[in-house]
Amino acid sequence: MFVEVAPPTQLAPAPPPSAGAGTPGPSHARRSAGSLARMLGRGVIPYLYLAPALGMLVVWIYRPLVQTANYSFYSWNLSPDQPAIPQGWHNYHRLFTLPEAGNSVLRTVAMIALLLPFTIIIPIIVGLLTAEVRGRARTVYQALIFAPFLVAPVASAAVWQWMLTPGSGIVNRATGLKTNWLHERLPALLSITGIAGWQMLGFAVLVVSAGLASINGDYSEAASVDGASRWQSTRWLTLPLLSPTLVFLVLTTVLLAGTWTFPLIDTLTQGGPVSATTNIYYLLWQYGFKSFDAGFAAAAGVIFFFGFTLVAAFLVWLSDRLTFHDN
Amino acid sequence: MSRITVENVTRRYGGAKAVDGVSLDIADGEFLVLLGPSGCGKSTLLRAIAGLLAPSEGRILVDGRDVTDIPARGRDLAMVFQSYALYPHLTVARNIGFPLRARRVRRADVRRRVAEVAEILDLSALLDRRPRELSGGQRQRVALGRALVRDPGAFLMDEPLSNLDAQLRTATRTEITELHRRLGRTFIYVTHDQVEAMTMATRVAVLNRGRLEQIGSPTEVYDQPASAFVAAFLGSPPMNLLDAELVTRDGQLHAVAPQVDVPLGIRVAAAGAPRDGGDPAAGRAIQLGIRPEHLLVTSATGGTGSTDSTDSGSAHETGPAVLRGTIRTVENLGSEEIAHCVIGATEVRVRARRPAGLTAGDAIALSARPEHTHLFDRDSGRRLVWQSDQPVSVPPARVPVTT
Ligand SMILES: Nc1ncnc2c1ncn2[C@@H]1O[C@H](COP(=O)(O)OP(=O)(O)OP(=O)(O)O)[C@@H](O)[C@H]1O
Ligand SMILES: [Mg+2]
Repeated sequence: MFVEVAPPTQLAPAPPPSAGAGTPGPSHARRSAGSLARMLGRGVIPYLYLAPALGMLVVWIYRPLVQTANYSFYSWNLSPDQPAIPQGWHNYHRLFTLPEAGNSVLRTVAMIALLLPFTIIIPIIVGLLTAEVRGRARTVYQALIFAPFLVAPVASAAVWQWMLTPGSGIVNRATGLKTNWLHERLPALLSITGIAGWQMLGFAVLVVSAGLASINGDYSEAASVDGASRWQSTRWLTLPLLSPTLVFLVLTTVLLAGTWTFPLIDTLTQGGPVSATTNIYYLLWQYGFKSFDAGFAAAAGVIFFFGFTLVAAFLVWLSDRLTFHDN
Repeated sequence: MSRITVENVTRRYGGAKAVDGVSLDIADGEFLVLLGPSGCGKSTLLRAIAGLLAPSEGRILVDGRDVTDIPARGRDLAMVFQSYALYPHLTVARNIGFPLRARRVRRADVRRRVAEVAEILDLSALLDRRPRELSGGQRQRVALGRALVRDPGAFLMDEPLSNLDAQLRTATRTEITELHRRLGRTFIYVTHDQVEAMTMATRVAVLNRGRLEQIGSPTEVYDQPASAFVAAFLGSPPMNLLDAELVTRDGQLHAVAPQVDVPLGIRVAAAGAPRDGGDPAAGRAIQLGIRPEHLLVTSATGGTGSTDSTDSGSAHETGPAVLRGTIRTVENLGSEEIAHCVIGATEVRVRARRPAGLTAGDAIALSARPEHTHLFDRDSGRRLVWQSDQPVSVPPARVPVTT
């Protein structure tokens, strides 16, 4: 007679290891009040570690944000002994009807557009050209390009002011131009963005170099065996694979253009001539801290907060779309 | 159509030589496997052939044309990378079509050719996916497809199966062999897996520390390893190597070591008639090699040890036991078992069909046919071949010839 060999039952106890291995202890029975407290503590401790950072975030970021939104509905001149008068949507109405605001938005867009070559195009070219450089030469090279980023904007503004002086300035002497760089409308805009771009170039080159270095070298080798020329492999592989990095740089440029240009505008042109270099950040600052129109500045701040949130969300979404995780 | 010639290629990294004076002549249509342990320079050699790195010395010729200074894209070779290097942002169709696109082939032709290749490799349903949406085996096939699509002169493959699981590896192995048979192109295939080498190659080139140890058909490389390294690299378990001395007894050469006395089946002048002061090969330091499957168990007893009477009792035509020792452990491989025996100072593995009745702790006596013994010089590691071009009565060549 045949007898079927039974399959191993699921709960079949494993043969006990030779010696020394402990049997599972009666852990349930042993769980005492003390260990319960310990469990609770275990749940709380991570939050205690997080608390300082969270606290800072709330105090320095979210509270001002909420206050700003609040002030945007009041008329107030920032002095503590003056009452803030409720205004409803009046500040927002002014913001959207004031021609100055619209113009400054356009100028902001122009500044961002003029900065992009410095943060995208030149870094790509420099990054591709220096990708082959290895060892110490590479470090020296990157240090040279990165150096302007480390100079305080106000200091560099002072140096550039001296270099751009009409007549005796080194720029005009070298180019033979008679341009008054900081006091004519278009040249002033170009100067501000040029100086900001010069400062940010090193940072962008570093980001692009890091992006290029993170692309697996196998791809370009495979492409060369597949018969692609260098230009083809750059266009079809390197640039698409670099695109998340480039989107990051666009995002940085869009969001930080105001921050980068602000000290330069304030030291070199004060928004002039005839508001030619007044971007929205500078306008906001002027309203808030020159005209002491805190409510209006707050309303502008709120609008731009949402505007930039949208732009940033779009770019982050784009960056996610463009990221191809290999393996 | 490509014959590939590697002439004395050396590649240095700093002072170290990753590839050291390798010469190969790979005929059109051959399937050459570059075999060797990790770090022996296989990839380096393959990449030099592909044009991805320049040799420090030597030349590489494709169909007699010196391509040493021609970049990879000018060589008309296709390569499958170990990582597959599929372009992650392109679909399967675009990946496969890439080499054609780079050559500015018309779109319609690219599409037609990609469809053909996808058909062959069973990828038609996956053409719109991206590499990350594929399984390992599918990625491997896409990499193969990218190589196939433009009908190159030769295919270079760097461990293309190493990322697949055992079952898929076996299946793909057969597929690649089939592909080679159908295309009739030259294949150069890098692996450290001897099974791949034995099953796929028309010729195997064994590399060790950047040097070529042996090149020959899988059978040659396995049956007549040119060096102790090749002997110890091929086979699982690999060939047993024992340090021994050569001794002449009754006109026969024997390899002798503690608990080892193996007749080699080589007749020399009678020991009683030394013409010039002794037997020709005596005392030469050698390594004796015997494959585990060529060792025959003449007796295995749980007693204190085998005696001569048990030996004569077992009716093996191979004669008396030649190696004696103790079984240390026995591994069960299912169809066979491998006994690890301690013989003198060395461990010897014996492969026997199950059930062989071998038990750890037993004494064991083993024998081997003379034609299954291999001799290697202990210093150089090269194979020793007996040259018997002279009549046996005349003292033969004093020193065995090194191949
Ligand atoms: N770029 C490099 N710089 C310095 N040494 C290298 C470089 N590439 C390879 N080597 C050395 O050259 C030797 C051969 O490397 P190679 O990659 O050819 O080995 P391999 O046979 O392909 O090994 P594996 O089977 O592990 O892939 C190794 O010792 C390695 O350390
Ligand atoms: Mg390798």
